[in-house]
Amino acid sequence: MIRVSHLTKEYGEKKAVDDISFETAKGEIVGYLGPNGAGKSTTLKMLVGLLQPTSGDISVAGYSAETELLELKQRVGYVPEEAQLYEHLTLVEHLQLIGRLYHLEEELIAHKIVQLAKLFDMEAQANQRISSFSQGMRQKCLIMAALLHNPDVLFLDEPFTNLDVTTVTFLKSLLQRLAELGKTILYCTHILEVAETLCPRIMIINGGKIIADAPVAELRQQTNQTALNEIFVQLTETTGLDEKTDEAVRIVTGTTNDA
Amino acid sequence: MLENVAAKFGACPIQYKLLLQTEKTVEERALEGKQGTTKLSLAVTCAFCFLISIFSALLVFFDMGVFTYALIGVTMSMFTVGMWTLPYFDLLLSPINYPIIAHTPVSSRTYFLVKLTQILKYAVLLLICLNIFPSICGAFIRGDDTTILCYFFPIFYLPIAFIAGFFTIGLMTTFAGYLTKLYSVKRLRKISKSAQFILPILLAASFYLIPNDVIADNYKSVLKWLYVLPNGWFAGAVSLATSTIDRSEFTRDLILTGVATFSTLLMVLIPLRSIAKTYSKYLSFLMESGSRQKHKLRIRQPLLARFFKSREVYAVFSLSAAYMRRDRQILNQLASGAVVNFIIIGMFFARKIYPIEFIEYHYAIGLSPGLTGLFVFLGVPTVMGFLSSVGYSEHWKASWMLSLAPLRKSHDLWRGVEAVTFIYIVFPCTLLFFIVATVFWGVTGIFFILPGLIVVLFFVITYPKSESGIPLSQEPVEIDRSAGCLAYGISMIAAGVLVGVQFLARFIHVWVYIGVYCVIVAGGVIGFVKLHKKESMKETSDA
Repeated sequence: MIRVSHLTKEYGEKKAVDDISFETAKGEIVGYLGPNGAGKSTTLKMLVGLLQPTSGDISVAGYSAETELLELKQRVGYVPEEAQLYEHLTLVEHLQLIGRLYHLEEELIAHKIVQLAKLFDMEAQANQRISSFSQGMRQKCLIMAALLHNPDVLFLDEPFTNLDVTTVTFLKSLLQRLAELGKTILYCTHILEVAETLCPRIMIINGGKIIADAPVAELRQQTNQTALNEIFVQLTETTGLDEKTDEAVRIVTGTTNDA
Repeated sequence: MLENVAAKFGACPIQYKLLLQTEKTVEERALEGKQGTTKLSLAVTCAFCFLISIFSALLVFFDMGVFTYALIGVTMSMFTVGMWTLPYFDLLLSPINYPIIAHTPVSSRTYFLVKLTQILKYAVLLLICLNIFPSICGAFIRGDDTTILCYFFPIFYLPIAFIAGFFTIGLMTTFAGYLTKLYSVKRLRKISKSAQFILPILLAASFYLIPNDVIADNYKSVLKWLYVLPNGWFAGAVSLATSTIDRSEFTRDLILTGVATFSTLLMVLIPLRSIAKTYSKYLSFLMESGSRQKHKLRIRQPLLARFFKSREVYAVFSLSAAYMRRDRQILNQLASGAVVNFIIIGMFFARKIYPIEFIEYHYAIGLSPGLTGLFVFLGVPTVMGFLSSVGYSEHWKASWMLSLAPLRKSHDLWRGVEAVTFIYIVFPCTLLFFIVATVFWGVTGIFFILPGLIVVLFFVITYPKSESGIPLSQEPVEIDRSAGCLAYGISMIAAGVLVGVQFLARFIHVWVYIGVYCVIVAGGVIGFVKLHKKESMKETSDA
């Protein structure tokens, strides 16, 4: 469903994404993990056509990002990392805008908005401007918009940020059901607990390169660690944690090594 | 005494009196900390009302009849009472103390009457300030329709002005009552705030226009239009009270008095019977957590959507239309253009005060380079003001949504902006200018509008083509505006040349002018057809 081959993105001298390749199957949920600045969001932006890759090939749902970008875009849903929205619009207007941009019929848009607003408990806010929304509500807005046109592939960049536990639980269940129906989900996060429970397969990116790509059980075996966060720390070579902590305590408290 | 009146309207007199006293105490204690400012604000309001009343009273020195004098006084009184009591309707719409007594056996009618009394308290104060002077001075009216009974003018005028004021409150209560069934409290507050801003402008505008017509000796024909309005009915009642049966306008005044009486009764009965009965039901919605919309989320099918073949064009049309109404920067650009437009059109109407003779030049077949020029010089800046600012937005980061969408060409998005410009700016502007032209030159006014319309439309279609980005996608940085200013300057020069050619042609010979006119109009039509065909061919080849 998603095929990435030798994908690279350079910003001047710096390689944000460095020659990565992977494939995902239909109905798969893949956790895309990595420390801050590892290249997760850049990869996702290239996959949805927001960023032009420096080199490499991308194919999503059978469509090439280079030659069939419109068809590709029509089949993907994207939740970005930051909730940047047209804040002067109401929730209904925002979803109508998205529905129209994806060529949905007015009746279908209206029907889906009513249903989604009900499901996400946003009926009362449906006709309020986004500018008055809390961060959690904005995140719900983004998720509803990504689901509106029934995409085959979902690219989610930290989708659970600012959401309450009930909504997160509901969304996890929803994503699992959507995957069962054949939708592919690339889930980008650094909340490892959620990734561990939601994603049977984990990819870890660090410094623009994919350093691990396997099911969680296999990663456990490879690293001899049980918890995903320990696996993550080991793989991303975040060593000397104790020393780092000691140093931080010294700086904060103003004590010296000698003392 | 008030509780006896309330009892007659179905309220419990004991509860009514108790609640009224409690509300008064609570209000007084709440204001204790800021008594000075509240008193000052009330004093300023009363002083303002006195000023208005002095202005109304001074009209007695003009040679006008009882009806006209009463009409002006009653209109001012009704309007001011309506305007100043608007904020107090919050007492009715969202009474803050309601949750405290909601569980007690206070009837809907009783509570409603308590709230209405609070509003009437302010209304009475204002009505006194507004009508004392005009009623006293009215005794000295000397016009065509004055009789000996005019000496008793204050006795008749004052009660009628008060009834007119109560009628206004009744009308507003009825209106507010029905609006509560349609909108949320928050929305109603916004409507109330907008009304406070818009209505005085309308009043000022009407006063700007009325004296011209009154001075022009045709005010009697203007007055006829006021018979359909409530202020006309109450002025008729004053006129009837001070006239004798043999007067020619006796029948008119009798009918107007009848309408005034009937409508006042209606305005008392509707709030007291219909609204008061369901008032608790409305208030119970306020007790619910969240909004009433929670149960009533219905999405309207937009009528305009049917006229757009392309979904993405309609999407951007809706987006930019919303931003045109809500984005501060875009609004500022449009407002400055609109203000200039209205001032110039106002000057055009009040031509006796500010003669703009070149605009009034007109020829046998009804062509006028003057009005065309005016249209171009007002239309182009307005259009440019919008088009140059719609590329920018304080929410420019949200344009990732437009980049993500499966669009054939990002430039297609500008077609949505073009549609907004045409529907919300060009069309109303054209209509306004057409009305202006029709007032002076009849149906042939269309000829005055056509060349200007074509020039403006060309700007609407060609300007976005120079835009490389997508709408609302650029950070509003002042330095970037210089490009817009340059484009604006060039477009104005181009518009100037187009209008100048017309003037020059007229200077040579009228037939040369007609020829130029035909070339502009025909050229414009052919240009549109070709442009449209080119666009269609491009779309076909892209597809």
